[in-house]
Amino acid sequence: MVLVLAIGDLHIPHRAADLPPKFKSMLVPGKIQHIICTGNLCIKEVHDYLKSLCPDLHITRGEYDEDSRYPETKTLTIGQFKLGICHGHQVIPWGDLDSLAMLQRQLDVDILITGHTHQFKAYKHEGGVVINPGSATGAYSSFTYDVNPSFVLMDIDGLRVVVYVYELIDGEVKVDKIDFKKTATTRSSH
Amino acid sequence: MSPAAIERPMLESACSKSSDESRRSFANLRGVQWRTDLGILPPLSSSTIDDLRKVTADSRRRYACLRRHLLVDPHLPKDGSNSPNLAIDNPLSQNPDSTWGRFFRNAELEKTVDQDLSRLYPEHGNYFQSTGCQGMLRRILLLWCLRHPEYGYRQGMHELLAPLLYVLHVDVERLSEVRKEYEDHFTDKFDGLSFQENDLRYNFDFKKYLDSMEDEIGSHGNATKVRSLDELDPEIQTIVLLSDAYGAEGELGIVLSEKFMEHDAYCMFDALMNGAHGAVAMADFFSPSPVGGSHSGLPPVIEASAALYHLLSVVDSSLHSHLVELGVEPQYFALRWLRVLFGREFSLENLLLIWDEIFAADKNKLEKGAGDDTGSTFGIFSSPQGALISAFAVSMILYLRSSLLSTENATICLQRLLKFPENIDLRKLIGKAKSLQALALGPSISSSSPRCGGAYNHSKSMVVRSHTLPSDSISPKTPLNMVPDSYWEEKWRVLHKAAEQRNGSSGKQNPTPKKGWTEKVRLSLSRTASDPSPAKAGCGNDHKPSVRRRLLEDLSQELGLDEDTEKAGCDEVSGQKDHICKVVEVENQDGVNNDFTCVAEERCLSGIAGSEENSSLFSDPSSPLSGANNHENDSEKSSVASNSSIDETDDHPEANHEDTTLPVSHLPNNATLNSGDNNEATGKSLAVPKERKLLSGKFQWFWKFGRSNDGEETSEKGNGALDVTKSANDAGSQSSTVCSSVDGSCYSSTTGDLVDQNMMGSLRNLGHSMLEHIQVIESVFQQDRVQVGSSDNFSKNVLVGKGQVTAMTALKELRKISNLLSEM
Repeated sequence: MVLVLAIGDLHIPHRAADLPPKFKSMLVPGKIQHIICTGNLCIKEVHDYLKSLCPDLHITRGEYDEDSRYPETKTLTIGQFKLGICHGHQVIPWGDLDSLAMLQRQLDVDILITGHTHQFKAYKHEGGVVINPGSATGAYSSFTYDVNPSFVLMDIDGLRVVVYVYELIDGEVKVDKIDFKKTATTRSSH
Repeated sequence: MSPAAIERPMLESACSKSSDESRRSFANLRGVQWRTDLGILPPLSSSTIDDLRKVTADSRRRYACLRRHLLVDPHLPKDGSNSPNLAIDNPLSQNPDSTWGRFFRNAELEKTVDQDLSRLYPEHGNYFQSTGCQGMLRRILLLWCLRHPEYGYRQGMHELLAPLLYVLHVDVERLSEVRKEYEDHFTDKFDGLSFQENDLRYNFDFKKYLDSMEDEIGSHGNATKVRSLDELDPEIQTIVLLSDAYGAEGELGIVLSEKFMEHDAYCMFDALMNGAHGAVAMADFFSPSPVGGSHSGLPPVIEASAALYHLLSVVDSSLHSHLVELGVEPQYFALRWLRVLFGREFSLENLLLIWDEIFAADKNKLEKGAGDDTGSTFGIFSSPQGALISAFAVSMILYLRSSLLSTENATICLQRLLKFPENIDLRKLIGKAKSLQALALGPSISSSSPRCGGAYNHSKSMVVRSHTLPSDSISPKTPLNMVPDSYWEEKWRVLHKAAEQRNGSSGKQNPTPKKGWTEKVRLSLSRTASDPSPAKAGCGNDHKPSVRRRLLEDLSQELGLDEDTEKAGCDEVSGQKDHICKVVEVENQDGVNNDFTCVAEERCLSGIAGSEENSSLFSDPSSPLSGANNHENDSEKSSVASNSSIDETDDHPEANHEDTTLPVSHLPNNATLNSGDNNEATGKSLAVPKERKLLSGKFQWFWKFGRSNDGEETSEKGNGALDVTKSANDAGSQSSTVCSSVDGSCYSSTTGDLVDQNMMGSLRNLGHSMLEHIQVIESVFQQDRVQVGSSDNFSKNVLVGKGQVTAMTALKELRKISNLLSEM
């Protein structure tokens, strides 16, 4: 029962001041084992805040991040799953599933987490899962102002991952749940 | 049912044997025995194996239910609903009722429990630290705490649980041993060669028959020869029966079962904690708040600790008062003892024996008489089991008696209590505990004034405490050991008696040989030494005041030795006086100059007497040293009192002089106090030499004290004196100083207020006594010096003339001081 938080595109302080208070009250230290951050935090203070929630923080570089030492992509293994992180501005067209699938194959991961579009997406694709946690602050993106703050919490338990999506819609936190099961065999190659 | 019918006689035969040895038949099956004692299983003698099975199965089912209910898997939807409300049931939900909320709370609890479990019984780690065992312990504790949220998890619960699981484990191991040995009785082979009467299910399998035939022929005789169950040991019989899987409950009903160890352990733990069937509820010991129904508003464990001390006070008042004086409150060590039922004090094997006794104790709550409402306020005494527990604790304290009495340091006392020695004769301890248990249950406990309050708030009542000596209230049938009163209580009594007598009593008594008396005083003084010899203990408590009275009489008529000795002493001292005064000033470090000066003065005066120490009249310097120390300690109270009073009233320089004279006057006091010297002198010379001796002793002592302040070593008695005077020095208020010295506690708290009046009274008395003694001495001086005669020493005659003058001046100053004192 490993809880992994996937969060990104906060754009603090440029496009947003802070996380929504309802989100902040939910994110308490002690419950979450790992944090995966797609990028665009942008400043160190946000990094420190996330670090306070959980010491195990994995972060990739977004184009507005002020710390240039973050890697472009990152992979890690949690339980039975291999996870890959990338900000997503490198993958063109932005948000295109096929291109993201290419990246997933390239990184050889079961779960790929990317951002940049500021919209929550979760695809099951070719034996793998592509997740976009959206923007946790609801910051405007390059192509739209209408952004709902959202983030994702994954519950990895053996061969099964449950994805909880937390969205702030009209001032209320809405939660949704998606179940993914990994097949025991390796993914079929294309 | 025939199986039951057949089993019943077997069981009863087994049990009849067991009843002979009361519990020995299950000595090897502790798990069953304890379960019976704790009330989970019905007693074997009055039930069939079927009953046992039923009860076992029920209790296990309950546990399984509980486990299913409370152990949370958040993935499973709550209440079986298929579409959980995700707004509540998500992992980050703040809602405490959500599945995830409970999950996280359980995780927290588990973490706390794990902290303790990882440190459980490392010396038996191969069992206790194995993952299986740890997992079971964790689950049991978790479930119990979830079931009893009012208690939560407290450190120590795991130590109560561990031995329970252990005995079950041992039972199962025994079962497998027996199974190996007596295979046939456990298997269901019906090959015609072995037929078990207790098994009517006839399952004849040809193939198996053939196989088993071959097996039998080919076997190397591991299995014993087939015989009927009756021929086996009753013990083996019961083991076989208890492991039998037949019966309505099937596998769940096997009494000795490895599979259900967790269930059984939970039931035992629950019974132990909740105090099933009237047993002492261990859970109460973990609760911080008073349990409803307790007379005192104290948490149960505090109350039980006080009960312990109460029992101790009844049994061994001097040890009790010693501990109380030092400030060793019972709950410092009793908390651990009681909460874990002595689990941390003994090795596991010993602990099992102790728990055998405790669990077997009668649990019925006693009917208390009408008059007991006012008396007993201790809930723990209301049942024999509780009484046994406290009795056992008291017997443990008594076991450490000598080492506790030998130290004046509260920390060391506590250390000794908390680190119970390894190699002990457990049977003796248990035997003693049983006798004390009888005592605890008797009416005497309620009738003696409950000193729980006293024990609880002892710090305020140092002076007052001596008024409530428990020896007065001991019921006639009590003491298992006659213990002499503590040294300071004797002192107090002496002081008061002296005060009375000074106020005009008259009565002569023959001096009894005082050798033993001083010895006794010395020995009771030497609490820092290893063991007070009880032999001397009985001596003349009463002798002191009587002797003092007698001495006063004698003094008034006394001639002889006095002047000689005094002069001799004074002469010698005069030379030393300056030196000593200088030393005194050097020593005026802490600003407690007066004490030091007094010390110095006394040193001077001891110098006076010092010469006489050479005389055969007095004992050797070494012995007067010790004797003097005795005297010193006897007199230190008064001397310190006077010192302090001087501090209050006089200036420094004046104090110097007065101090010089002071000790002399006090020493006569002390002389009367310490009648017994190693002195073969005649009665006449007895008093004065004693005075001198006291002087010498006192000075020696103080001198040593002074030297110690210079950083040199002191004798242990010097230490004692050091402590007393140090406490005198440290006290902000003189009154508390006096008080501490009066009460003899080296560590008394400085409660000035409470003691002022007592001090004033005692000071006044001292002043009076000083005056009287001065008069005596002066009268002695005025008489003709020659006398003495018997057993005099040479040196005195030589020094007679010279010392006289100095003695007179000293006396004059003493008079001044006494006047001041009397005015206070």
